[in-house]
Amino acid sequence: MSNQTPTRESRVSRTAAMALMFLLAIYFLLPLYFLIVAATKPQGDLASTFGLTFSHFDLFKNLDTLFSRSDGIFGRWALNSVIYAVLGAAVGTLISALCGYALAKFKFRGREFLFSVILGGVLVPTTALALPLFLLFSATGIVNTYLAVFLPSIVSPFGVYLARIFTAAAVPEEILESARLDGAGEFRTFFSVALKLLTPSLVTIFLFQFVGIWNNFFLPMVMLQKESLFPITLGLYQWNGQTARAPLLQESVITGSLVSIVPVIILFILLQRFWRTGLASGSIK
Amino acid sequence: MSNTVTRIRLAGVVIAAAASTAGLAACSSPTPSGDASAAAPAAACEPAKGNVTLQYWNTVPGMDQVVALWNKNNPNIQVEMKNISTDQYGIIGNALKAGKAPELAQVGYDQLPSLRTQDAFVDASACADAVAAKSKFVPWTWSQSSFGDTGVFAFPQDTGPMALFVRSDIFKKHNLEVPKTWDEYAADAQKLHDADPNLSITFFDPNNAEFFNGLLWQNNAKMYGYSGDKWHVTVESDQSKQVAEYWQKLIDAKLVRTDLAHGSTPMYAAYQKNQIASYIGAAWGYSMFRDNLPDQSGKWSIVPMPTWGSSAASGDWGGSTVAFMKGNTHLYESVKFNSWLNSDPEALAMENKLGGLYPAATAGLELPALSEGVPYYNNEKIFDVFAESSKNIDTSFAWGPTQKTVNLALQDALAKAAAGDGKLTDAISAAQASALKSMQDLAIPAVAGN
Repeated sequence: MSNQTPTRESRVSRTAAMALMFLLAIYFLLPLYFLIVAATKPQGDLASTFGLTFSHFDLFKNLDTLFSRSDGIFGRWALNSVIYAVLGAAVGTLISALCGYALAKFKFRGREFLFSVILGGVLVPTTALALPLFLLFSATGIVNTYLAVFLPSIVSPFGVYLARIFTAAAVPEEILESARLDGAGEFRTFFSVALKLLTPSLVTIFLFQFVGIWNNFFLPMVMLQKESLFPITLGLYQWNGQTARAPLLQESVITGSLVSIVPVIILFILLQRFWRTGLASGSIK
Repeated sequence: MSNTVTRIRLAGVVIAAAASTAGLAACSSPTPSGDASAAAPAAACEPAKGNVTLQYWNTVPGMDQVVALWNKNNPNIQVEMKNISTDQYGIIGNALKAGKAPELAQVGYDQLPSLRTQDAFVDASACADAVAAKSKFVPWTWSQSSFGDTGVFAFPQDTGPMALFVRSDIFKKHNLEVPKTWDEYAADAQKLHDADPNLSITFFDPNNAEFFNGLLWQNNAKMYGYSGDKWHVTVESDQSKQVAEYWQKLIDAKLVRTDLAHGSTPMYAAYQKNQIASYIGAAWGYSMFRDNLPDQSGKWSIVPMPTWGSSAASGDWGGSTVAFMKGNTHLYESVKFNSWLNSDPEALAMENKLGGLYPAATAGLELPALSEGVPYYNNEKIFDVFAESSKNIDTSFAWGPTQKTVNLALQDALAKAAAGDGKLTDAISAAQASALKSMQDLAIPAVAGN
């Protein structure tokens, strides 16, 4: 009797939890589902058919239109997004790791103050920095270049914060000591020892950065004027502004939105095993 | 959505203001438009010695291909274009204040006075070709881009002459003739609604000041005038009140829907479900229905706007010019390109096909593509209707120097009225007050009434 009660309770609560999560999953996936459905429709069916059911399956025709529009400018935007996001996230992660490692493993005067300042940086929304950055960059003359979007993208106070926390947890002092005893310099210690231990957490930082840059809209909008430098977000926005004159652009905006989330999904699927390793290695301790 | 857009625009304005140290100075000494003596003196019109590269900013889909055609045939005058549809006036404003305006930029008719107040244009009237271009364009477009012949500040590019889109099958089903006057239109609205409570004759989007202005324009409502060194604000007039009262009656009787935003998916869905029997639109709207409601092919006709009196009159909704921007030192070449861009049949045909532009040039109205029957509209020659409409547009209508602010005030009040808080005539009064206040704020001399 007393044995059964907890199992029944747990079954009830488990069912409730599952039901809640199921509902949440539907809630979160519904817009995605809508996007997939809408991307398969011809323009004429967008308003005239129910949004959540398929009508004509025109996905491949839509993709063809999307990539051939204006001499394939969408492909260019996609490439730009990849350049900004992959390079920006890679360099940004490295910088975050170096900073976080230094803050976690070296004792120096003003360390906590510096860390507080960086934490303060987490509180400042990047949107608020777009204006001062624009003024700085227009004074230096790099507005409307790749650098104007790339340079701000590699800075991430939140990444530094995460790197410090992760380093403190995942890199034992003893290993660093022994590396130093074996004659490794500080950089060698960092790159050959600490970086390997940190890999799972760096993947997390990389993903955060990647998604942040991939979805960034305001900064490129402020910085860029040349169409050929646009990332996907800004390009789609520009098309969306022209739908009154060219209604068929709307279908390309929708198909383009679907295409633009594919790389992010792929990246998450590819990198999630690193995440698991990170969690597992924590549990052994 | 509209909130985001406003916020982005705002940010653009902030950036514009901060980006330039001269920003404040430029704002505090506005040049009232319409005053010939206050305008910048006409710049010289000399051909350049060597090759010239012009910058041309616009928002027209497919314009890159038109420019490419020009560049191929004119190696000495190369044009670099930039699409600025992300934030048209924000980007132009930034560039002006930073002193980096392009030679040519697309500016809507209703924004011309406001930009001229900011000293944004150069007068190209030193170029004989620029002055002679007058004869190439529909009269009202020239009147607005030359500010009543006080100079040549822009060439008209496209227009949106208004007309009535009718679901002829619905009208036929209910044994109704296509309405010719607004009175008939209101009577039909009642009959359709009586026959089927789910059926409305049209919708009234209170958040679309441009549309409402088009209706006012059709009724010869003169909103602004300039004489004696000051602006005369007559937004509130018998004509504008007549339009407001008319629509108020339709709204009160629930004969028109007020819950649909123009161009939105719900709007198309309502048309798809046969809940709305007509659409008051402009020339550029023909492709909206063709592309979004392909199932209704053959059911639509386009007829002239219902009239207030017995004589035909129409209004304009939308359209743009290509303006000669401040700092332009290549007026000769700019006039050449601008003239080709907006009056050459080949260029006009491309712009119409790729960008959906309905030309402001009289030659453009006879383009082959615009004189054929359109399959979606029962092979009717719909562009003949728009061409006729274009001729019936009041040429003396003028926009104000703070049109954007006034439009926002108008929309706010229209939306309130549509929600039952106040009347549409209150919106007219609000727009009148906003016009006077906004000009006062910029130290532009203005008085109410003639």
